[in-house]
Amino acid sequence: MALRELAWRVTARELESSLEEEKGSGERAVAYVLSPFGARMNRVLVAGELVPPEPVGREDPPTFWRSRLVDPTGAVAVTAGGFQPRAMAQLRAVTAPAPSLVVGKVHLYRGRDSVVHVSVRAESIRTVSETEERAVLADVVRQTLDRLDLVERIEHEPSVADDALRADGAPGPWIRAGRDALRRYPNVDRPAFRRELRTAVRRIAGDSGPQPAAAPRSPAVQASTREPPRSPPSPPTAAEREDESLFLDLVDEVSETSVDGYADLKEILQRIAGRGVQSARAEATLNRLEEEGILEEPIVGKLRRAE
Amino acid sequence: MSEESPTAPPEVQLADLRAGTGPVELVARVVALQRREVTRRSDGSRRPLLSGLLSDGTATVRFTWWDPPAEGVERGTVLRAVGAEVGTFRDRPELTFTWRTKVAPASPAELPKVDPERVPLRPIAELQTRTEGIRIEGRIARVAARTVSVGEERRVVHEGLVADRSGMIEFSSWSDFGLGVGEAVQIVGGYVRLFRGRPQLVLDERSTLTRLERSDLPDPTGRLAAAPRPIAAIEDLGGGASVAVEGIVVGLLPPSGLVYRCPQCRRTVSSGLCRVHGQVEGTPDLRARIVLDDGTGSATVAAGREATERLWGVTLSEALHRLRDQPDPTVLSEQLLESLFGRRLRVRGPASRDDFGLTIDPESIERADIDLEASAAELTARLGGPS
Repeated sequence: MALRELAWRVTARELESSLEEEKGSGERAVAYVLSPFGARMNRVLVAGELVPPEPVGREDPPTFWRSRLVDPTGAVAVTAGGFQPRAMAQLRAVTAPAPSLVVGKVHLYRGRDSVVHVSVRAESIRTVSETEERAVLADVVRQTLDRLDLVERIEHEPSVADDALRADGAPGPWIRAGRDALRRYPNVDRPAFRRELRTAVRRIAGDSGPQPAAAPRSPAVQASTREPPRSPPSPPTAAEREDESLFLDLVDEVSETSVDGYADLKEILQRIAGRGVQSARAEATLNRLEEEGILEEPIVGKLRRAE
Repeated sequence: MSEESPTAPPEVQLADLRAGTGPVELVARVVALQRREVTRRSDGSRRPLLSGLLSDGTATVRFTWWDPPAEGVERGTVLRAVGAEVGTFRDRPELTFTWRTKVAPASPAELPKVDPERVPLRPIAELQTRTEGIRIEGRIARVAARTVSVGEERRVVHEGLVADRSGMIEFSSWSDFGLGVGEAVQIVGGYVRLFRGRPQLVLDERSTLTRLERSDLPDPTGRLAAAPRPIAAIEDLGGGASVAVEGIVVGLLPPSGLVYRCPQCRRTVSSGLCRVHGQVEGTPDLRARIVLDDGTGSATVAAGREATERLWGVTLSEALHRLRDQPDPTVLSEQLLESLFGRRLRVRGPASRDDFGLTIDPESIERADIDLEASAAELTARLGGPS
């Protein structure tokens, strides 16, 4: 049954902490990003301050935009392209940082050296009053705490049956996500995450005070390292990461429109060149992504994300 | 003169049907029927077939009638069948009328006398469409008369909700029992069918309804005003006669906004065509199929014109006026979504689940505001005091 995916209420910090995913199989596969705090996300609802977007690529007019949503716990990239024309128009309408709600699909990819990029591809965006933003943030924090409580209960009572948890009011999807979180993230510091939620509660209480994360910076790429690098021989530079991110965005964008589901390499190289990236650099990026097993080229000149 | 054998089959009550006992005689009412034709594999000819449900007040069973009369059998007809075959379908007895079975109309007076004490008392939550021999005790939570068209005829049907400690079910009755909200009743007989995807207890002429003096049944109004529950929990139950949920609007499903309806059947008209009545002059209406999400699951809330106008703040005539300036109706849908997206709503009403998920027919839709100060205090306490 193709039931609609629910919109998980999560903080930016929880999205930043998410390093694992579950790839669907078969046609119309649904992918989930798994968080350490008991969310198994395909779709999310996030609240925070959205900063004005920047175009990705040098197309004129641009067909892909990226912004950041900042809440008191962190920040997450929010994107919209020509395939979500309404979301793209709504994102472009953000001309100054504004309290906003975003519903969208979560995307995750793992770059070199455990660099994980999480972004939200917007389906709907609305700028709201600060009160509305705080109300949704209250919903987010309450549900996050409820999920943490559930994860901890399962941790202490690993043999508890799903039915018993359901009888105590735990929603079915949360139970599954809670068990996944414990399996995939055995050593996560959940108490520390709880403490980080306090800044969000202060915001709900109306303390709009300094939000360090809310500084109006909007890098074209939102990338964070959340695992200690395993002393690589040559750590990727920020510029290389940026190239990788751009490359993958273009692969997603091009493959979404293509008839066969593959992204045409020539088209990507053209678009990258349009951004002023030299072809040698683009080739090097492609090689890195292929070596890392993120992209594959099953047919010469046709790219797709590796399974 | 009579070809009947001296060992005429015994007359049985449906509750006593057992497969493999040979042909039986029975008197029962047709409570559901469907007429169709099957193609014979041997020569490709078409063979008429009636199938449906029979009830005699003790139980409801499926029946199949090969080569039935072309007319004279309808929902509500009482039949006497002599020599009906008893088989099983999914472990339940099933009747088949063959060329050997003699079937004739009978009078309701010939239906078996049902002793209410013989029928076990059941919790309402356990009533399913296949439940046989119904006896429940509950309080009327709601009751109202509604006029419906049955063919050319206008008839009044009495509909409502009856609840006990275990749950609540919708009921409908052609006869007026003069019921009032809060009355405690015992209902014996009737049958449960699926109505708009939800179980509904249908009281037929054979059902008895008696008022109870005892009052240990809970007040059903509390059930109607119950606090919202997680959408995931209601999905697990498959819906309910009256549910309450609270969530945030995350989208709209088409068709939402300005729609045109067939003037005869109220179905939405697309490209000027009604699915049933063909080309019609559609009458404009407003609706919103709201996707409400509470973080545990999502439900479609089918809001009608009144609720849509109230939530949107735009009336049908204003919407039509806007259409004159901006002749693209999808712009109206966008404006409707823009005004609803992100709003927190509390919705009550009957809910049913199908392959597309949970759908709620809203009886009430209210804005639900969060008390920020109270929330902040509660969350601070949960996080172990101010940091």
